[in-house]
Amino acid sequence: MNVRTPQSNNVVIQSLTQIGNCGLFLLTLLMAIPRSFRYVRETIRQLWFVGAMSLAIIMVCGLFIGMVLQLQLYNVLSIFGSTSASGMVVALAVYRELGPVVTALLFAGRAGTSITAEIGLMRATDQIDAMEMMAVDPIAYVATPRFLAGLIAMPLLCCVFCAMAIFGGHLVGVTWLGIDNGTFWSNMTAVVVVHTDIVNGVLFKSLVFGAVVSLIAVFQGFTTPPTSEGVAYATTRTVVASSIAILALDFVLTAFLM
Amino acid sequence: MTDPVRATPDDSTLVRIRGLTTVLNGKTIFDALDLDIPRGKVTAIMGPSGTGKTTLLKHITGQMRADAGQILVNGKNVAGLSREQLYKLREGIGYLFQNSALLTDFDVFENVAFPLRQHTKLPEVLIRDLVLLKLQAVGLRGAARLMPNELSGGMARRVALARAIVFDPMLILYDEPFVGLDPVALNQVLKLIRTLNQTLGITSVLVAHELEAIKQVADHVFLIANGKVVAQGDPKTIANDGSPWTRQFFGGEADGPVPFQYPAEDLAQALGFAGAAK
Repeated sequence: MNVRTPQSNNVVIQSLTQIGNCGLFLLTLLMAIPRSFRYVRETIRQLWFVGAMSLAIIMVCGLFIGMVLQLQLYNVLSIFGSTSASGMVVALAVYRELGPVVTALLFAGRAGTSITAEIGLMRATDQIDAMEMMAVDPIAYVATPRFLAGLIAMPLLCCVFCAMAIFGGHLVGVTWLGIDNGTFWSNMTAVVVVHTDIVNGVLFKSLVFGAVVSLIAVFQGFTTPPTSEGVAYATTRTVVASSIAILALDFVLTAFLM
Repeated sequence: MTDPVRATPDDSTLVRIRGLTTVLNGKTIFDALDLDIPRGKVTAIMGPSGTGKTTLLKHITGQMRADAGQILVNGKNVAGLSREQLYKLREGIGYLFQNSALLTDFDVFENVAFPLRQHTKLPEVLIRDLVLLKLQAVGLRGAARLMPNELSGGMARRVALARAIVFDPMLILYDEPFVGLDPVALNQVLKLIRTLNQTLGITSVLVAHELEAIKQVADHVFLIANGKVVAQGDPKTIANDGSPWTRQFFGGEADGPVPFQYPAEDLAQALGFAGAAK
């Protein structure tokens, strides 16, 4: 894949060129999806690496974020005598914002960097060229399965994150601070709307974030200079670009979905 | 000479290059290069480092597009092929990379089986037999379950060679095949190249610097320098043809038509002596 590298010293032009090239790369990826169906096993293998292998960090982080959120809310709401509403606020915050955003940030750090580094090293060691020479399309065999795996894994990981955060909130609120169990759940179920909070918040946002993080990770891997320094910079760029894109897109999506 | 535009495949030439011009980062790599690689022969491409030998192989396989000129492989204009046609052509070409380029996720067996699994629907038993035969040919049947990081450089090269020949291609391109091989492995690889050529009629193109090895295996040698073919002929006689190019290259002389030093400012000036002398 011939992707033009930015030539200008102007940071704005460089960034715009990168975004333009990334857009062209996305088109190439999408067009390669039908060809990648013959590599279903590779997609499943990647799903294991980016999804199942990220479960531990997602679960632990989800648990602690739920716990600390519940603790803070309890302290603030106790001033107004409405501590029973803390479970409800934890649920809304996690479903609408924290779940998709934090999962995507963790996903970028855990899976995005590994995708970029792996593809970058494959380029540096001529493995991508070797595939080309063996008449195997590297976009269909290497890039698309990783992109699809990220797309599928992110909503699933986000669901796990949210479940663990709610569990963490319950652990602190009900088990430790003594909020009534029935009040905790009934307040939560009363305000959480499946379409607005679960479908739009958890599933749609995480799907978009999964696509963005996977695209950036794969693009950076394919366009990195084939050197150790190039791979190091590319992995850094994956985290930085993904984090900015996630937070900026979160604002845009929230504005449209509210 | 044949009109390159209307050139048609003939029995004697597998790769025909006409007027190949390549400029990379402002440096002219090839300057209207003409070269014919005969079918069914072992051809060696030699030349000083940086003359574009590997680039020439990349042009032949369509990995790199030339600025001008035409490359016909088996009568097909490489630059004019669609992606599918190019991949079809590459199925008939084996390529041995300079650094082996083994797929690090797979063991030796799976690396060699990779092209077969991608392009055929052969039963597993047959794939196993074919892979083991190729590994036996390069002396590494016993290393079938080792991972690439467990191989020495020479072993990795032999595995890459087994992978390059697993499809019995019409053309094999070897990029520096003798680097890192011990004398036993070198001898076996030389024999293998010769055997593949003689028994299956596979055309081989070698990019190498080892004249003694080339003398044993090649039928024809092209010496490339300054973007052109500066000498060609039988490997046993080309070294003694007396031209300044061959004398410098095969004699290992620093002074000659190809400068040993990369273009730079005067050494005395760089060291600050020029000013002191004034």
